[in-house]
Amino acid sequence: MIPSAKFRRFLGEAGELSAFAGRFFSQAPRPRFEWEELARQCYTIGYRSFPLVGLTGFIMGLVLTMQLRPSLVSYGVDSQLPVMVGVAIVREIGPVITALIFAGKIGSSIGAELGSMRVTEQIDAMEVSGTNPFKYLVVTRVVAATLMLPVLVILSDAISLYGAYIGVNIRSVTSFSLFFRQIFDSLSFGDVLPAFIKTFLFGFAVGMVGSHQGYHSSKGTEGVGRSANSSVVISSILIFIIDLVVVQVTDLLGLN
Amino acid sequence: MPAPEKSNIKLGLFVLAGAFLLILTLYMIGKNENMFGSNFALKARFKNVNGLISGNNIRFSGIQVGTVKGIALIDDTTIEVTMLVATKMKPFIRKNALASIGTEGLMGNKIVNIQPGEGRAPEVAEGDLLANQKATNMDEMLGTLNKTNENIEDFSEGLKIAVRRVNNSTALWSVLNETSLAPNLKASLANISQATAHADAMMNDLRTLIAGVKGGQGSVGALLTDTSFAHSLQEATARIKTVGDKAGGLADELTKMTGDIRRDIDSGTGTVHALLKDSSMVRKLNASLDNVQKGTAAFSEDMEALKHNFLLRGYFRRLEKQQKNAGQSP
Repeated sequence: MIPSAKFRRFLGEAGELSAFAGRFFSQAPRPRFEWEELARQCYTIGYRSFPLVGLTGFIMGLVLTMQLRPSLVSYGVDSQLPVMVGVAIVREIGPVITALIFAGKIGSSIGAELGSMRVTEQIDAMEVSGTNPFKYLVVTRVVAATLMLPVLVILSDAISLYGAYIGVNIRSVTSFSLFFRQIFDSLSFGDVLPAFIKTFLFGFAVGMVGSHQGYHSSKGTEGVGRSANSSVVISSILIFIIDLVVVQVTDLLGLN
Repeated sequence: MPAPEKSNIKLGLFVLAGAFLLILTLYMIGKNENMFGSNFALKARFKNVNGLISGNNIRFSGIQVGTVKGIALIDDTTIEVTMLVATKMKPFIRKNALASIGTEGLMGNKIVNIQPGEGRAPEVAEGDLLANQKATNMDEMLGTLNKTNENIEDFSEGLKIAVRRVNNSTALWSVLNETSLAPNLKASLANISQATAHADAMMNDLRTLIAGVKGGQGSVGALLTDTSFAHSLQEATARIKTVGDKAGGLADELTKMTGDIRRDIDSGTGTVHALLKDSSMVRKLNASLDNVQKGTAAFSEDMEALKHNFLLRGYFRRLEKQQKNAGQSP
């Protein structure tokens, strides 16, 4: 049976993306390293995303706390609200929400930036001038995204927990030290480490999909828009797929 | 975009802030799980660990002192729990401490509670096996509660019936509504109190009396305590019995005799019959007695006449004189 055209296109995309990732792994460890460009990308990707990520994280923590509160009150365990919110934010909400925001902001910007470079033939010009455009443009962005997302997630988690602290104090009163004691008492390495490790994968996926969509952009300005769009869509889906795989793996390893 | 140097500083701050928070989190968790600072191992054996897992908290008198390191099955009824306890707590935990498995709150995680034992004991050493104490199990508690509830149900059922009966009883309510009952009851109680006081006094007397009897005082005492008396009594009753037997024989004879006599009397033989039954003889006897009376009256006349006879007159005069002298001389 001949697969449908859509399915063939999907398989083709997946194969191209895999080949792109293979190219990344073969080129990234080799000198020369573009340190300055990497730092610049880290600044753009990481630091410049922080206000957005921080704001969403704060709101997320506050809203999650207020939403969870009634159901815990109905069980009479509203004193366990910090524990519940803490575990939810650190294990799942923090990494995934931050990664999605990151995909929306960074995935689209990488896709658009590299796409416009491709369609304006800047990448071809680089090749001619002897600079390795893949190393200079793709590797730096992917590495920057991979390294910056975990930092963003950690900061976002902290801000989310502060938002949760405020959320708890809207309806009842708890001290800052009791709130964080409760959270840290309930957390274990099994909660923190898998959540931390998967953020690297999320960041890598966002950087890789954005770069791939932009790098292989075509059909002029229309193609730039499409690369930006599809990089957000694909990286968002990938984030959830990776999340699914990671939770299965951590479960198998007994870290839950 | 700012100058590269400035942006690098911001990036550095950003990354360091993230790294600091990550390390802080890991340190806090590690501290809670006793990864830093020195620990020593303690062991305890249980029949049932009720779902305890490694990493659960150890509390000594309610203070967090360590975590469960491992749980191993020794045999089918014994589970050994290895606990890591902070070394700084070592001087406080004694060898006679008791370990039990409990729950954080009502439905929280399982914990191992170490309670100080009673009395003095040396402090624990590395690897010591603590004695265990059976913890109150939630299921057992519910089982007991269930039994209690069933009992209460039975009880309340009985109570319901009793209350209904009480409510339906007009007699009881009339008694309860009777206003004179209380003063009467009071008076009765006063009487009872008096009576019991008397009874008390009586009992006291009786007690002294009994004490006296026991001591052999008085006739009852003698009766009860003297053994020779009992012997005599026995002998006497034996005699009385033989006498009684003889009396029986005697009574028989008497009965026979009176029977004979009656027969004699009725049949008209013998003197008694003649005396009692023969009326002609009574008449004759009357006539004889009349004759005797006449005879004696005639004899008395003869004797008077004789007194005045000259032969005997001197004697009677002398007798008179003598009587007269006897009345003057004394």
